[in-house]
Amino acid sequence: MAFSPLVAPSPSATALLKKGSATGQENESQLRHSSSDREITEQLNDEVRHKYIKAKKLGEGTYAVVFLGHLRADPSSFVAIKKIKVNAEYKDGLSMDAIREVKYLQELSHPNIIALHDVFSSKDQNLNLVLEYLPRGDLEMLIKDSNIHYGVADIKAWMGMLLRGVWFCHKNFVLHRDIKPNNLLIASDGEVKLADFGLARSFADPYLNMTHQVITRWYRPPELLYGARQYSGAVDIWSVAMVFAELLLRVPFVAGNSDLDQIARICEAFGTPTEDNWPGVSKLPNYIPADANHLIPGQSRDFFLRQFPTAGAVGADLLMSMCTLDPRKRSTAYQALRHSWWATEPRPTNKEDLPRKSGGTKKMGDDLTRRGGELDDQFKHAARQLDFSAMKA
Amino acid sequence: MIEDDFYRTSSQFRLWSFTEDSLRSLRQDTNRLASDRVRDALRRAREARQSANSSAAGTPNPNGSDADSKTGDEKDIECLTPDEEQELVRYFCEQIVQLGESYKPPLPTIVRATAIQYLRRFYLTNSPMTYHPKTIMPCALFIATKTDNYYMSLRQFAEGVPGDTSAEDIIAPEFLVMQSLRFTFDVRHPFRGLEGGIMELTAISQGLGQPAPHNPNQSPDDLRRTMLSLSPPPNTQSSSSISDRLARAHHNTREILKSAAQMTDAYFFYTPSQIWLSALLLADRPLAEFYLDTKLSAPNLDSTHTLTQLRAKLLTTLNDCSALLHSYNPLASDPEQKKALRRIGKKLYHCQNPEKVNLAGQKRIPAAAAAAAAAASVSDPATPESEMERLAKKRKLESEAKRRDDIFGGELVMERTRERQG
Repeated sequence: MAFSPLVAPSPSATALLKKGSATGQENESQLRHSSSDREITEQLNDEVRHKYIKAKKLGEGTYAVVFLGHLRADPSSFVAIKKIKVNAEYKDGLSMDAIREVKYLQELSHPNIIALHDVFSSKDQNLNLVLEYLPRGDLEMLIKDSNIHYGVADIKAWMGMLLRGVWFCHKNFVLHRDIKPNNLLIASDGEVKLADFGLARSFADPYLNMTHQVITRWYRPPELLYGARQYSGAVDIWSVAMVFAELLLRVPFVAGNSDLDQIARICEAFGTPTEDNWPGVSKLPNYIPADANHLIPGQSRDFFLRQFPTAGAVGADLLMSMCTLDPRKRSTAYQALRHSWWATEPRPTNKEDLPRKSGGTKKMGDDLTRRGGELDDQFKHAARQLDFSAMKA
Repeated sequence: MIEDDFYRTSSQFRLWSFTEDSLRSLRQDTNRLASDRVRDALRRAREARQSANSSAAGTPNPNGSDADSKTGDEKDIECLTPDEEQELVRYFCEQIVQLGESYKPPLPTIVRATAIQYLRRFYLTNSPMTYHPKTIMPCALFIATKTDNYYMSLRQFAEGVPGDTSAEDIIAPEFLVMQSLRFTFDVRHPFRGLEGGIMELTAISQGLGQPAPHNPNQSPDDLRRTMLSLSPPPNTQSSSSISDRLARAHHNTREILKSAAQMTDAYFFYTPSQIWLSALLLADRPLAEFYLDTKLSAPNLDSTHTLTQLRAKLLTTLNDCSALLHSYNPLASDPEQKKALRRIGKKLYHCQNPEKVNLAGQKRIPAAAAAAAAAASVSDPATPESEMERLAKKRKLESEAKRRDDIFGGELVMERTRERQG
C-alpha cells in the first residue's frame, strides 16, 4: 500500500492539465489565421492566459504574489496563480528560484506533489504559475495549533503521503532540498502535497559538486552542515525524519540558532559523528573535530523510544533509520516506504478524516510567496498568536 | 510504473516529440507565417519611407510612381524556405559548440547540448527571418547554464561572447526564448543512459554481469564468453582487448551523441535511450546487438514470442535513428554546405523582418506585441470606420514605422559596411 501509482487527476484537473500536445497543431493553425499579428508563441501564451481569471490576492512576499483564481470556463474550479516578481536588482534575467521551480514542476506529476497546471506570461513579462489550489494550509499550521488534536494514525497518514512524494522526486532524479512543515501543503481532500521547488535540482553526475547551502537549517542534515558538496537523496530523508519528529513532539526537534549551534544540537541528540560511525566524515570541508572528552555516543533504539513514545517501537525504529548520521546508512525513501511501521497498528487515517483547520487559504498564500530556504521568525510570532487566541478562548 | 511511463510524463515527450509529418508541417506553417509578415513589414517600412520623403520634399508624389515601385519590390522579396531556415539554425547550433568550447574551462557538454535543443525548439515556432539566430543563440546558451546548474554571472558569460555583444544584448530575448520553449526547461539527454550501458557492458566483460530476469539460467560466465566471442566491429583491422573495444565504443558513441544527435532531428523523433543505442549501433554494431540480446532474448524463443517481436520492432526504430544520425555531415568538412550557407546568409539579409530586429531596445517584447495586437484588433477591417479615424490611424502607423525604420536603418548601414569590409 505504500506505493501509489499515478492516480488519474480529477475531472477539473484533467481540463487544466491539457497543456497542449506535440501534434496538436490543429488549434495552432486556427490561431495563426485569426490574428496573424501575433507570434505563434504569443498566441499560444494568450490562449493559456485566457483560460484563467485572477480573483483576489492571497499573499505577497518579496519574491512572488499569489492570487486565488479560477477557470474562466468553470468558476468553481479554483487554482492558485503565483506571479513571480521581476527582480530589478537581478540583472541576469529570470532568477534561479523561478527557473528551478518551473523546470521541476513541469516534469513531476504525482498526487503528493503540488501540480503545475500551466505557465503563462502576463503583459509586463511577469511569469505566472498556475498551481493546484490547496486550501487547507500546511502541516506547520496543524503542528502549532494546540487546539488541534491528532494521533499517531494521523501522523502515519501524513508521513506516508510525504514519503511517497519524496520517493517520486528521487525516482525522477530530483532533490527537493527544502523539505519542512510549511512546504507541505494540504488539499481540500486532505492529501499532503510537497511544494516549493525553488531549491530543487537534478542529481549531479558522480564527482560533480553541488552547493551545500540548501535546506532550512533545522531540517538540514549533518553532511550539509559539514559542507559536503556531493550528496544524495539522503539529505531530503533527514528533513523528512525531522518533520516526523516534529509531528510527534509538536515542536522542532533540533532547532539551532546558528549553523554551529545546529551541529552541536545534532551531536547532542544523535551522537557525535566520528570516523567509526561515519567513515569519511572527518574529510568533509567544514568538519569540526570533536572534543575527545565530550564524545556523545550514538543513540540507541531505546533513546528514540524514550524520546518519541507515541511513535511506538516500530515507529521509533523507522525514525531512527531516517536520521542515521552517515548518509550512506540512512534509509532511502523506498526503504522507508517498505518499513514494517506502515503495516503495524494503527492503520493510517483516511485522508478525508484527517484533522483540519480553517484559514488555510491565507496560509497557502504565505507559503507560496516565500523564497526557498528561508528560516524566518514566523515561528515565534505564530507561537505568540497562538497564546493570544488561547487566552481569549 | 515502467521507465516508459516516466518518460511519457516528461515535457520532452508531451510537447517536443513529433512524427516526421507533424514536424514538417509545423515548420512549414512557421515559415509561411513569417514570410507573410516579412513581406507586410517591408512594405510598411517602404511606404513610410516614401511618405516621409514626399512630405519632406513638400510636394505630392508624382503620379503612379508609388504603386509601381511597390509592386516591383514586392516581387523581389524572396523569403527563406523551411529547408534554408533549418540549415541556418543548424549552423548556429554548431556555433554553440564552438562558443561553449571557447570558455575557460569549456562549458560542460550537457549545457551545450541543452542550449542546442533550446535553439532547435525555439525555431519550430519562430523563423530566423523574424528573430536572427545570432541574437537568439547566446541567450539560449546562457539560459542553459542556468537550467543545467552551471552557474556563471551574465557579465562573466558576456565576456566570453566574441564581438561587441553586450550583456544586455544577450539577455534581451530571454523572455521571448523562454516563452517559445513554453516554459519547459528540462531536456532529457542520452548521455547518462550511455554511461549506464557501458557500465553494464564493462561488468559483463569482467564476469560480473547480471542475467535478464526472463533468462535466469544464463550465468555471468556465459555472458562474458558470448561477449568475448563477438565478431569485431567493421572497420577495425587489429583485434584488441575487450576493455579497449569497450573504451573505443564508448568514446565513439559519445562523439556521435555530442554531434549528430544534437544537429539532427533525433531528439524530436526518438527517446534518449533509443538515441544512445542507435549511436552505439553505429559505433560497434555487434556489441550493441549483444547488449540488446542480454535484455531481449532467451533460448528457444520462436518468432511469435513477445520478446522476439519487441526486439524486431525496436531494431527497426534503432536502425531508422542510426540512419538519421549517420546522415549528419559536419559543416567544417563540407565546402558545399559552407557555400550554401553563405548564400542563405545573403538571402536572409534581404528578408529579415525589420520590425523585429531591435530586441534589446524592446525591453518588454510581449508587451509591445500585445499593444500592437490591440491596435490591430481595433482596426478590424470588418468594422466600418470614418475616414477621419482611418487617416489618423494611418498617420500613427506611419510615424511608428518611421521610427522603427530609423533605428533599424542605422544598423543596416553598419551591417552593410561590415559586410563590405569582411
